[in-house]
Amino acid sequence: MTGKHFMIRFGELSTKGDNKKQFIQSLGKNVRHALKDFPSLTFQVTHDHIFVGLNEEDEEAVLSRLQEVSGIQRISLVLPVEKDIDKIAELALELAKKENGKTFKIETKRIDKLFPLKSYEICVKVADHILENSSYAVDVHNPDVTIHVEIAESSAYVYAHEYPGCGGYPLGMNGKVLLLLSGGIDSPVAAYSLLRRGIKVECIHFAAPPYTSEAVIDKLKDLIGVLNVYQPKIKINVVAFTKLQEAIYKYVAEPYCITIMRRMMLRIATKVAKKCRALALATGESIGQVASQTLVSIQTINDVTNFPILRPLAVEDKVSIMNTARRIGTYEISIRPYEDCCTIFKPKKPKTKPKIEECEFFEKKWDWASQVDECVSSITSILMEDGIEKVEEGEAL
Amino acid sequence: MIYLDNAASSKPTRLALDSYAKLAELSFANASSPHKAGREANRYLEEARKRILKALRLEKTHSILFTSGATEANNLALKGVAFQYASRGKKIVSCLAEHSSVKNALKELQDQFGFEVVYLPVNSEGKVDIEELKKAMDSQTILVSLMAVNNEIGSINDVKTLASIVHQYPKAYFHVDATQAIGKEAFEYSCADLLTFSGHKFGGLKGNGALCYKKTIKFLPLASGGDQEYGYRSGTVDMPGAYAMSLALEEALKELPAHKAKAKELMSALEKGLKENPLLAINSPKDHTPFLVNFSLLKHKASVILEALSEKEIYVSSHSACDEKKVDPSETLLCMGYDEGRADNAIRVSFSPSNTVEEVETFLQTLSQILTEVKTR
Repeated sequence: MTGKHFMIRFGELSTKGDNKKQFIQSLGKNVRHALKDFPSLTFQVTHDHIFVGLNEEDEEAVLSRLQEVSGIQRISLVLPVEKDIDKIAELALELAKKENGKTFKIETKRIDKLFPLKSYEICVKVADHILENSSYAVDVHNPDVTIHVEIAESSAYVYAHEYPGCGGYPLGMNGKVLLLLSGGIDSPVAAYSLLRRGIKVECIHFAAPPYTSEAVIDKLKDLIGVLNVYQPKIKINVVAFTKLQEAIYKYVAEPYCITIMRRMMLRIATKVAKKCRALALATGESIGQVASQTLVSIQTINDVTNFPILRPLAVEDKVSIMNTARRIGTYEISIRPYEDCCTIFKPKKPKTKPKIEECEFFEKKWDWASQVDECVSSITSILMEDGIEKVEEGEAL
Repeated sequence: MIYLDNAASSKPTRLALDSYAKLAELSFANASSPHKAGREANRYLEEARKRILKALRLEKTHSILFTSGATEANNLALKGVAFQYASRGKKIVSCLAEHSSVKNALKELQDQFGFEVVYLPVNSEGKVDIEELKKAMDSQTILVSLMAVNNEIGSINDVKTLASIVHQYPKAYFHVDATQAIGKEAFEYSCADLLTFSGHKFGGLKGNGALCYKKTIKFLPLASGGDQEYGYRSGTVDMPGAYAMSLALEEALKELPAHKAKAKELMSALEKGLKENPLLAINSPKDHTPFLVNFSLLKHKASVILEALSEKEIYVSSHSACDEKKVDPSETLLCMGYDEGRADNAIRVSFSPSNTVEEVETFLQTLSQILTEVKTR
C-alpha cells in the first residue's frame, strides 16, 4: 500500500462482538457502492479499518461521500509507511512542516503488539525528531497540530487530520422500516434520521387523486432521489386512498376526520409493512406540531396497531427540522405548493384530544375494513435508484 | 387523449415539423457566417421574414426580428422602446388583463426604472374601454400596450379603434400582443407599431416568436453580442424554427376562415353543454373568439377537477392555484366583476382546428360525471 489513503474507523461496531464480521462486510459493500463513481480507488477491508486508496481521485469529493455512509465513526487521511521508527519519524516531520502551527503533540496507537517500541517510546522518538528539525514546540494539552501514528499489523500510518463520519450502523444491519411519506418537510427528514442510523427505509404514500395532484408523485420521486445518497434503492408504495377518504368525510363528524384518516393510514401501513417485511413503521410526527400530533391524538391513532412506530422527530422542534431539511437538500422540494391528502378538506376545528371510543363509534358506520384491504391490494410502487426512477424493461423511452 | 389546451400550446403542423427537420439537418450553418453554407442559411432566414411580413401585409411598413417566443418579444418591445425613448416621456399605458410577460415587464419599468405605468381596467365584457384609454392618454405617453385577444377569456379588443386613439399622440407607439389572435382573429395588423406573437400557438414550434415593428422604431437591445437581428437581439438565430414558423403562419392565415367556422361549430356544441349544467357558469363575453372559452365551477375546486380530467387524459387549463395557502384568483375575472370564488375556480377550454365535436361531447359528459362524483369545495 502506497500513497494517500482514507482510513475508515467503525466506532459503535466495536461493541458488536460476534456480529462484527458481518457488520464490517456490510459496511465495506456500502462504502464501495458510495464511491462507485471513482474508478481509480482501491479498497482494503481489514478487521479494524477500511482503507480506501486515493490514486489521484479528488480527496474532498471522496471524503464528502464517505461522510454520508452510515456506520463510519471517523475518517483519516493517512500515509502508509514501513514499520521502521526512523521512517515513521521522518514522515511525521514532513506532515508537521506542511501544517500551519507552532505547537504539536504525537498520539500513537500500537495495534501490533509485537512492534519493538511501546506507544510512549514511539511518541518520544517521533517528537524528538520533529523538535530537532523544526521550530515546533510540544504542547500536549492544547496543540495546534496533532500528528497521529498508528502501528497496524501490515503497515504503519501517519496522519494529521481526522474527519467525523455520520456514525450509526451500516445500512440494512438493523432491518427495514416502512415510513409514511407525505411529501412535506418532516417525513424526508425522518427518513434521513433513520438512514443515518443505518435503518433501511421503504416508503408508503397516500394519494387521493383528483384531490391531490399527480405532481405530488413527482415531488416524492425528487425527494427520494435526494435520499438515494444514503440508500441507493428506495421503494415508494403509493396507496389509492380517494375512496376511503371520501367515505371518511361522509360518515365521520368533521373534527374527527383527520384522526380517523390517520387511523386508517396506520391500518393500511401495518398490513403493507408485514407484506414487505418491514420490522416497524415510521413517521415524521413531532409531538404537538399539529392537532393530529398531540400526545392524546398519537395515542388514539396508535391504538389501531401493535406494530412498533418509530418517530425520529418526536421531540425535535420545527426550526431544527427545517434546518436539517435545508442542509440535506429536501426543503426546497418539500415546499413545492401541492396539497397532500392531509391538507385537503382540512377540518376547521380538528380535535386535539380525540377519544378512542368516539373513533370506534364513527368507525361502526361503514365497512372500512374491506376498503382498507382494497387500498392494500391496489398499491402501485415506484423504485428510485440513485436518483432515477427505475422503469421496468420495455417501458423506458 | 383529448387536448383542449391549445391556447397554452398547440401541436406543430406537419408542414412546420417537416421543414424544421429538413432545414435543421441540411442547412445547419450559422446564418451569420459569410461562407456559402452560412449564406444559404441566411437566405432561408430572410425568406422567413418576407413570408411572415407578406402574410401579415406588413412588408412595406414593418421589419421583423425573431425571438424565442412572445415573452421575449413583449419584453423587447416594451423595455427596448421605453429605454430608447425615455427622453420623450416616461408614461406607459396598458391593461390589467394583459399577459404576465407584459405586466411583469412593465412592473420592472415602473419599480426599477421610474416609468409611470397606467393599467386600464377591462369592462364586464373583458375588453378595454375606448373612453378609459382616451382618459389615460397624454403628451407624456410614449407607449401603449394592449392585447388583441385575451388569453384567459377570449375577449376581442377593437384594435383599430384603440390604435386610432393612440395615434392622435405622435410620441406614442402602440404595441399589440397578438399571441392569441394570429390564425384566429384577423385585424388590421398594420395599425400596431409593434406586433408580437409566438409560433407554437398556431402550429409552429416552441422557442420561436417574433416582433414586427415599424421601420422607424429603434430599440435599446436587451441581449447584446454579435449584432444579429439588426443588433436588437444578438445570438445565433434559430433559422429552421423561424422558417417553420413562417410556413405555419401562412397556413394559419390562409385557413383562418375555415378554421374559424370549425371552431364555431365546436364552440356552439361546448357552450350548449356548459349552459345546461347548473354547476357551471360561462365567464367569456358573448362575442368571444370561438377558439377559446372560460367558465367557472360554482361548487367545485378547479385544480381538483383539472386533475380528475387529466386522469382521464382530457387536458384543459385552470387559472386556479394548486395550493390552499396561495390564493391567486384571475385578475381579469375580478376586473370583469366576478367574485373571488368564481375568479379562483375558472377553467379554460381552447380549440385547435383538429378537435372534433365528438371530443367536445366526451369532454362535456366526462365533466358532468366528475362533478357529480367529486366532493365540492
